[in-house]
Amino acid sequence: MAVENLAVQPSPGASFVSRHRSALLGALAVALFFAAWQAIFLIVPLNPLFFTTPSLIAAGYVDLIESGDLLHDLAVSAVPFGLGLLAAVIVGVPLGILMGWRVRVGYALDPLMTVFYASPLVALAPLLVIFFGVGVSGKTIIVFTLAVFPFIFNVAAGVRAVDRLLINVVRSLGGRERDIYLKILFPSVLPYIVAGARIAVGRALIAVLVGEFFAASEGIGYAISRFGDIFAIDRMFACILTVMVIAVVLTEGIRRAERAAFPWRASQ
Amino acid sequence: MADQALDLNVAASAGRFVTPALRQRLESIALGTATIALLLVVWQLLPHVLPMQQGTRLFFTVPSRIFATLWQMFATGTIWAPLGVSATAFAIGLALAIAAGLPLGILLGRSATLNAMFDPFVTAFNATPRLVFLPLVMLWLGIGLWSKVAIVFSGALFPLLINTHEGVRNADKLLINVVRSFGASGWDVARLVVIPNSLPFIVVGLRLAIGRAILGVVVAEFFGAQDGLGVVMVRAASSFNVDVVFAGLIVFAALSLVMTGLVKIIEDRMGRWRPQRAGGE
Repeated sequence: MAVENLAVQPSPGASFVSRHRSALLGALAVALFFAAWQAIFLIVPLNPLFFTTPSLIAAGYVDLIESGDLLHDLAVSAVPFGLGLLAAVIVGVPLGILMGWRVRVGYALDPLMTVFYASPLVALAPLLVIFFGVGVSGKTIIVFTLAVFPFIFNVAAGVRAVDRLLINVVRSLGGRERDIYLKILFPSVLPYIVAGARIAVGRALIAVLVGEFFAASEGIGYAISRFGDIFAIDRMFACILTVMVIAVVLTEGIRRAERAAFPWRASQ
Repeated sequence: MADQALDLNVAASAGRFVTPALRQRLESIALGTATIALLLVVWQLLPHVLPMQQGTRLFFTVPSRIFATLWQMFATGTIWAPLGVSATAFAIGLALAIAAGLPLGILLGRSATLNAMFDPFVTAFNATPRLVFLPLVMLWLGIGLWSKVAIVFSGALFPLLINTHEGVRNADKLLINVVRSFGASGWDVARLVVIPNSLPFIVVGLRLAIGRAILGVVVAEFFGAQDGLGVVMVRAASSFNVDVVFAGLIVFAALSLVMTGLVKIIEDRMGRWRPQRAGGE
């Protein structure tokens, strides 16, 4: 969706409006959406138990930020999110390289990993919560479980796409197995790691939310379900919008970074 | 090279039946099966090797017990009622997502203005885990079928919409111009060029959507439902009935694998002649 249409590249001399036409249209649509949302309750009576308006959400935001609750909940959720993703990278990348590079390891592990990747592993969350508790460790393990497979599969695909010529060159010049790993395989799978991270971030967010919806006493997921339970729709929307902004910033940020760092893969 | 020469020798001595390609295939199947079998055996033997405390034993199960439980759920028929409830939510949500996603994807693919206007919303909703809306959806639609349908729908909609959009936008401009030059109407262009061209993309979208829809059913039932296979699993987990949780996971995983596998077969058939593949996640 975010792919620019290269065919319609306006000339640099074009006016500001025509150069940023799609961005302006998008901003206009978002502004219209919120305006319409606000306006509709001037006509329709608002039932604050089930719905809210942008102005009330803004007030809820101010509340949450002034009390420091929002920052606290976000910080609590960020810890298992970060730790789980880190563990997923540490385990997933070497395993992916091994599976892609060693053909027999690939044969041996591919079916097993495919079963894991394709099954809704989130279904294990209730068990993991009971096993490891509702604290940081439980949530971290749920995040890891969901986030590790995109790394494994992307990295393995990256290794399989490595130019054989490069490997032959390193071998001809007397390179060892270690040189192949460090000088060819790792650098050439970097774009695939980043692509895997984009998918993994989304799954990690699901994992944090599942963990916190289940049983938690703090965290952004807990805040959303608690505000729902007490019909505090304005603050619930504020938290939901915050999660949406974080999700967009993370995935779009990774996408931008991908395009800037590895422009030859921009078509992906 | 040496490996290949060796392979040829082996093939020759085996009466030319085992070609290197076939040998490789057999090896991959054998190794893959062996790993899964080994994992199951180790898991089965673990309680005999590892001394376990009474508390840990409560959470622990072995494959034989899981499969026995699964067998019993099917034999006594206790699985059909909750599975039916889950399948209903899955089917309605996916059908609605197809009904909404395809026309919307075609519309956004054909109109640059509409696409620019909808892009922020599509990007935002696609990036956000739909699970975040579950408490809100439950508030609006109550605990039951329609909350689940809403979560399944919102999960499955975007892969379908985005892939349809990509497919429509990828339609060959030259072909469109040719058809137009021969006096085709807008509908003819869609029927002759745009829709056939986007079909492979739509099928990829469908495959992703099925995975998302199953995920949606599972999480929605964990938190916002009174019956369904997900509910059975959560209840089993909280009463330490670990076998049932794994049995449920196997059922969900099997359904997901079978359905995405079937779509993948269609996908490979349609994409066989196509040098470029449609986009992934």
